[in-house]
Amino acid sequence: DEACVAVFFRRFLALQQHHLRALDAFLLYVLLTGALQFGYCLGVGRLCFPLWLPPVLTGGSLFLCSAVCLRIQINPQNKSEFQGISPERAFADFLFANTILHLVVINFVG
Amino acid sequence: AGPRLRLQAAFSFLLLLAGAQALVPSHRLAARDLARLRAVLERPFTDVRAAYFSIVGLSSLGVRVVTISNETRELLLAAISEDSSVTQIFHAVGALSGFGLPLASQEALSALTARLSKEESVLATIQTLETASYLSQQADLSSIVEEIEDLVARLDDLGGVYLQFEEGIETTALFVAAAYKLSDHVGTEPAIKEDQVIQLMNAIFSKKNFETLSEAFSVARAAGSLSQNRFHLPIIVVPDGPAAVSHHQPVLRLQVTNVMSQILTQVSVKLDQAKSVSSKATVLQQLPFTLSGDFFELNFMNVKPASGYYDFSISVDGDKRFIANKVELKVKVSTEVGITNVDLSTVDKDQSIAPKTTRVAYPAKAKGSFTADSHQNFALSFQLIDVNSGAELTPHQTFVRLHNQKTGQEVVFVAEPDSKNVYKFELDTSERKTEFDSASGTYTLYLIIGDATLENPILWNVADVVITFPEEDAPSTVQSKNLFVPKPEIQHLFREPEKRPPTVVSNTFTALVLSPLLLLLVLWIKIGANISNFSFAPSTIVFHMGHAAMLGLMYVYWTQLNMFQTLKYLAILGGITFLAGNRMLAQKAVKR
Repeated sequence: DEACVAVFFRRFLALQQHHLRALDAFLLYVLLTGALQFGYCLGVGRLCFPLWLPPVLTGGSLFLCSAVCLRIQINPQNKSEFQGISPERAFADFLFANTILHLVVINFVG
Repeated sequence: AGPRLRLQAAFSFLLLLAGAQALVPSHRLAARDLARLRAVLERPFTDVRAAYFSIVGLSSLGVRVVTISNETRELLLAAISEDSSVTQIFHAVGALSGFGLPLASQEALSALTARLSKEESVLATIQTLETASYLSQQADLSSIVEEIEDLVARLDDLGGVYLQFEEGIETTALFVAAAYKLSDHVGTEPAIKEDQVIQLMNAIFSKKNFETLSEAFSVARAAGSLSQNRFHLPIIVVPDGPAAVSHHQPVLRLQVTNVMSQILTQVSVKLDQAKSVSSKATVLQQLPFTLSGDFFELNFMNVKPASGYYDFSISVDGDKRFIANKVELKVKVSTEVGITNVDLSTVDKDQSIAPKTTRVAYPAKAKGSFTADSHQNFALSFQLIDVNSGAELTPHQTFVRLHNQKTGQEVVFVAEPDSKNVYKFELDTSERKTEFDSASGTYTLYLIIGDATLENPILWNVADVVITFPEEDAPSTVQSKNLFVPKPEIQHLFREPEKRPPTVVSNTFTALVLSPLLLLLVLWIKIGANISNFSFAPSTIVFHMGHAAMLGLMYVYWTQLNMFQTLKYLAILGGITFLAGNRMLAQKAVKR
């Protein structure tokens, strides 16, 4: 819906906090990288499928961790829903999840 | 014992069903096997256990043995108590009896039963059986006799042919020896069925090479007990040479032996039935064999049987203890073949000229040669008869072989009999040119007759045949198909490496993928993300160092380490980072 998208963009641009913006920039980066790799694999052919898998999975998971988890938890507008979890705790969780993710990915790759 | 009896009944019923075709012993101790067994047992012994095996084993086979001091006797007597294992009690009782020394049977029996309830193994039970056989008959040995039935139930049936314990053949052989020893001692028939005895026999005597002294000992004991006990005596009927008779050798000779190949002559051997395999007609019934020396003889040719195979059902009687005394034997009757009415002819294809027939008599060769070409076919007909009885024969092999004298080529055809049992063969050059590769020339014709029941196979050079094939098919040379020349070499094709995109493309792509990173940095600067809040508190530094170290560890993991080592280092680094991070974030929270 046009209205929905317009509202979304207005809300987004109204964000002032550095934290959230920086995080959004990071999310954009992850998204772009993943999309580029996907496009490359499609273009060159299916030969490199096992090589393509780690980037996609990492990208997807990172996106998930950052966007969904961290962002939601950090956004003060959502504070009411996450009573017991401080932003610091959210960040610590994010780091932990990332560590495990990287471990698994390196294991798969190597 | 109610349910057990019912189980026995069901079991024996099943056995009856399964064993409708009676079991035949397939293994025994032939003289050679016996000699090998004795050689193993007669080796000089180095300790008491070896001495026991040698002495008792050899005496089972009927060979001789020694005396003993007082201390040893006391030691042996002391061993018979509840504190020793079944094996020790067994060896002690066995040794004392072997040397003829007295022992207290009731004490031994109670010690045995007490130990047996504690040790449930098959070997312990077998040893109990044998120990009981040394004890006085006054003692109540029935509980131990019942163990035989239990042990039989524990045997494994292998393919319906073998019956043995999963512990192996040695244990099975020891069981047979012990069971019969005890049964003889007590006077009750052991609870082992006839078929089971045969299966046990097959299993035990299938072992022809003995690696250890105890194996040799066990087989010797089993052989001894199966050839000499009060209840079951398996017997074997052995034909003298191949079971075949003919006019030159009309008498079928059989020998009756026990499992140790000891010849039995106090028996009566009778032919129940002799049936022809091909016609299923009964040729002979209820005829006794006559004893001559060590052999039982029967002149089968008296009934003038036709050549072929016959199933003989033979029964051996003379002792109620005999097992496997009904035997099936396949006897071959051979004869000699004669070729008669051999006619060679050239038949004109147009049927305009009458066929010229020449008669040849075996083993002469036909004079002159015959021709087969596009106008004429060559034909051969003959009859095969049994020289002794005059009956017509149809042997398995009736071949006509044509051998090219110049090129060495040979072609073989089969001559088929017609309804009147006259064999015919016809050579049509146009039909058969592929077999000959269209090579014209003079061929020698041979007739080959053979069969398992023929004593005189025939290879007869009958005639020469000049075969001419139509000109246009003549090959330039006859290539002998030599199968044994080196074949062309096969080049191994290594697996093609996977096609990879050209370097330019992948380099471009690598740069492309890294570009969002630049974008990220630009955005961050634009947004104004800063590190101005960076405090140099120790926990912060430790945290960042720890985190960096963890990322570094990931790289090292990729290049060198395995999962276990990585997890170890990760645990250490992670712990440090966690603690530091905790402190740092707490401080941040406080500041906020």
